[in-house]
Amino acid sequence: MPDIRLEATINGRKITRNAKPHQRLLDFLRDDLNLTGNKEGCGAGECGTCSVFVDGVLMKSCLLPVAKAQGAQIETIESLAKTGELSLLQKAFHKAGASQCGYCIPGMVMAATAAIRANPFADREEIKERLGGNICRCTGYQKIFDAVEMARDVQNGRLPATIFSEVEAEQGDYIGKNVRSIDAPSKVTGRLKYAGDMTMPGMLHVQVLRSPHPHARIVSIDTAAAETMAGVEGVITSADVPGEDGFGVIVNDQPVMARGKVRYVGEAVAAVAAEDLLTAKRALAAIEVVYERLPAVFDPDEAMRAGAPVLHDYAPDNITKHIPIRVGDVEKGFAESDLVVKEAYSTQAIEHAYLEPEAGLAYVDHDGVVTIVSPDQNITHHRHMLARIIAKPIAKVRFIMSPVGGGFGGKTDMIYQGMLALLAMKTQRPVRLVFTREESIISTAKRHPSRTRLRMGLMRDGRIRVLEMTMVCDGGAYGLSTGNVVHKAAVLAAGPYVIPNIKVDTYGIYTNNTPSGAFRSFGALQAAFATESHLDICAERLGLDPFQIRRINAMRDGAVTHTRQKLGSVSLSRVLDAAEKVSGWEAGAPVSRGDRRSDLDRDDIRPPCALGARFAAADKQEAAE
Amino acid sequence: MDKQMSADRPKERQVMLICGEYLTPGTLDEAFAAMQRHRGRYRVVAGCTDTLPWAREGRAGDVEIPVLIDVARIPDLRESRVDDHRVWLGAATPIQRFLDDPALGRALRCMPRCAVWFADEQIRAQATIGGNIVNASPAADVTPALIAYDAEVELAKSSGGRILRRRMKLDQFVIGPNRTALEEGELLIAVECDALPGHGGSFEKVGHRRSLVISIVCLATLVKLDAQGRRFEDVRLALGGIGPVPRRLADVETFLRGGPLSAARLEEAAEMPVSLVASRTRQAYRRDVVRGFMLRGLINAARRAGAEAGALPPELEAVYA
Ligand SMILES: Cc1cc2nc3c(=O)[nH]c(=O)nc-3n(C[C@H](O)[C@H](O)[C@H](O)COP(=O)(O)OP(=O)(O)OC[C@H]3O[C@@H](n4cnc5c(N)ncnc54)[C@H](O)[C@@H]3O)c2cc1C
Repeated sequence: MPDIRLEATINGRKITRNAKPHQRLLDFLRDDLNLTGNKEGCGAGECGTCSVFVDGVLMKSCLLPVAKAQGAQIETIESLAKTGELSLLQKAFHKAGASQCGYCIPGMVMAATAAIRANPFADREEIKERLGGNICRCTGYQKIFDAVEMARDVQNGRLPATIFSEVEAEQGDYIGKNVRSIDAPSKVTGRLKYAGDMTMPGMLHVQVLRSPHPHARIVSIDTAAAETMAGVEGVITSADVPGEDGFGVIVNDQPVMARGKVRYVGEAVAAVAAEDLLTAKRALAAIEVVYERLPAVFDPDEAMRAGAPVLHDYAPDNITKHIPIRVGDVEKGFAESDLVVKEAYSTQAIEHAYLEPEAGLAYVDHDGVVTIVSPDQNITHHRHMLARIIAKPIAKVRFIMSPVGGGFGGKTDMIYQGMLALLAMKTQRPVRLVFTREESIISTAKRHPSRTRLRMGLMRDGRIRVLEMTMVCDGGAYGLSTGNVVHKAAVLAAGPYVIPNIKVDTYGIYTNNTPSGAFRSFGALQAAFATESHLDICAERLGLDPFQIRRINAMRDGAVTHTRQKLGSVSLSRVLDAAEKVSGWEAGAPVSRGDRRSDLDRDDIRPPCALGARFAAADKQEAAE
Repeated sequence: MDKQMSADRPKERQVMLICGEYLTPGTLDEAFAAMQRHRGRYRVVAGCTDTLPWAREGRAGDVEIPVLIDVARIPDLRESRVDDHRVWLGAATPIQRFLDDPALGRALRCMPRCAVWFADEQIRAQATIGGNIVNASPAADVTPALIAYDAEVELAKSSGGRILRRRMKLDQFVIGPNRTALEEGELLIAVECDALPGHGGSFEKVGHRRSLVISIVCLATLVKLDAQGRRFEDVRLALGGIGPVPRRLADVETFLRGGPLSAARLEEAAEMPVSLVASRTRQAYRRDVVRGFMLRGLINAARRAGAEAGALPPELEAVYA
């Protein structure tokens, strides 16, 4: 492999270096020059965390073979605040609160810089268009656009620069005030180190062999060839687990790596630590696994039927968790009702898609403490589990939570930290694993897909007499947070409404799908989607305004929920009033609308997405020519 | 029990394309020499925006190509020229140039609108028209737009020390998903097409979001009106995303040419290509989109071509413009 002799100017400094022909500019900047401000979020040009200037033109460095940088001037995020003082845009991002997890922010600041350089007077629509190549999952973009507009206005003298130094909250007086986030400067400059940005002397690179089958018995794993490859320092399988294997949230049903059988496509089967990434990858290819395929089940309703393939011996009915709730007399409730409405609802799996793919670093320190650094949303629980898995006293296990580049619940499970610990112990060297986006999607938990059957009985005046709900959630191959998610779905099934008779059954079911787990709202979404959709349908049947049917049934201060929780204050009525007002709601039953809706096409409603803000003037000109 | 035993030697999983050598020839001669020297072991790349994502897990996956030959720096391929009647675009012309070069934008009214929907500012600076054409994705955006301009491709290969050149129509060059008439050892040198500064242009596209999406359907429309701005003098239409290859809508063009901008004729024209939808998925949705895009494309292009006030049916203008 002849190296490339690369001459370029990086952040104003001339460099001459050897680079590998297959390296991307991003690898070269991050790995060889230690410029870790720009990140890798997808590796496929989709997310923009890697955006850098090449000869003044913003480009995605994950799509640029390093040879394309030959002779070029490269500017990374590190170039913007070189003197230590934040750039105008960086200050505006800080002031506007535009950074949350921060992982997209270096790329976003670069894109904003490019936008304002291209058109210092760009309006919000044009700013949106020019930032179109950069994705953020936390902010909903509004604060980011605010920041760019603020920087534009300061630059054009329409806002005073003193706006950046204004302080809204006085010492000790924070509630209801805008508080500056103190970690924003580290994010807008790219200085904050996420786990994938961290290195240690002597560090090895980890890669994971994953199951190609949804359900199969592991007949044998032969790692001999991989272990003897030059550059390979350690290979592990479930046989390397010294203690009691198994992690989870409620049931510890998931081994660190597949033990005896695999239960979903993407499940870890073995892992390798090697001197470099490429060697680790090549070693994976040398591991031979013999599988005996087993019948698999992908539908939770089918998994509940007798004779369905069984995933876990402890749960022959494939039920992870069943939450039954009974209040009052459901049959009597239906008998008393004027109207009974029955419907079915379903929701799908959703990927969290945080911009930071999972990454972690582990080492055994001088006192023999196994230390894991990762964006882990549940370190205390994981510390206890890992101690049991690696058979060490709790004092010999340490978890350090690195900055989480977006979690949304998706980083609450100990999916890979166990492998890192085992490899650090086996090699006695620091080890690091950085997931690819593809790996993150196939192997980590999703939002639970659900199917809900809902039957509701109501009086003619809109009062709900009875609710009967059965919800089946696909928990996938392992338990993770399923038990708690279906628990919360059951608790929230009746919504904030007074309903005297209730029968709720929520189920979490094992299937050979990717495991489902924690995802913000945690079971509330699935239940609320069914109950609230159902209320709209009932309103239509009864000729009631959807707001009205909710007000009729709304819980008030002091109400007791169907799970006997006493609510001190209930804000539902205020929320309904506010929602009705801002939505410009056209009062009346859903059936009463004519073909023109007065609640749409208003000035304060955002127009549909279109591109070409910059053509508005050109249009007229084209016609004139 | 049906036992399926399998020894799975896993495919090597790469984070990227692995190559032994990455060559950046400075001239066409150097490029052909490299192609000859590495015959059978190389792949040509330009912007790399199709090649790199293609080499990831879940798609081609484990790609190890001994030699990559990057033609994007060859000055001949990077040039573009405009005269009164023709436009010449080197194969390595980046998409962003349609937005940055006013002369190109004027000669090819459709192309800036096509470009603004293409990926994002950053990828457009890197992605080339040659890559879009040779990659021959059924969802490609530039290819159908250029087909509407009657584009021809110029191809060349080196044989016995001489460079052999040939030309063909772009819509014949693209023959199927990821398939073209490009021969072994051949390079796409340029695209040549009509300059139509007097035509109004539109490019309609729908995908899942507004940036960074590939087309579910796209439609390139060019319209020239008579001196009064009341009749179609010329119409050019090409659809993408609706089947294995982009389609020029010659029959619709003939139907409209010389006719008025009436609602009846526009609506009849909009119906004509609906039956062409032959994609593998979402056919019903695409048919609806084609019908709507035809009206939107024709009305927008006609307005930009200077349609007389009131010449376009106001009820359609209200919905589609
Ligand atoms: C995030 C993202 C968004 C995208 N959005 C869009 C979009 O909106 N619309 C769209 O149409 N495409 C889109 N694409 C796809 C891609 O950017 C385009 O197809 C682009 O035009 C490819 O050009 P390239 O030069 O980068 O191709 P390359 O990857 O360099 O090459 C592609 C193919 O063409 C061949 N090739 C290139 N140049 C020549 C030549 N001169 N002679 C012979 N063969 C050649 C190569 O061998 C290769 O097979 C997107 C891609 C990404 C990553």
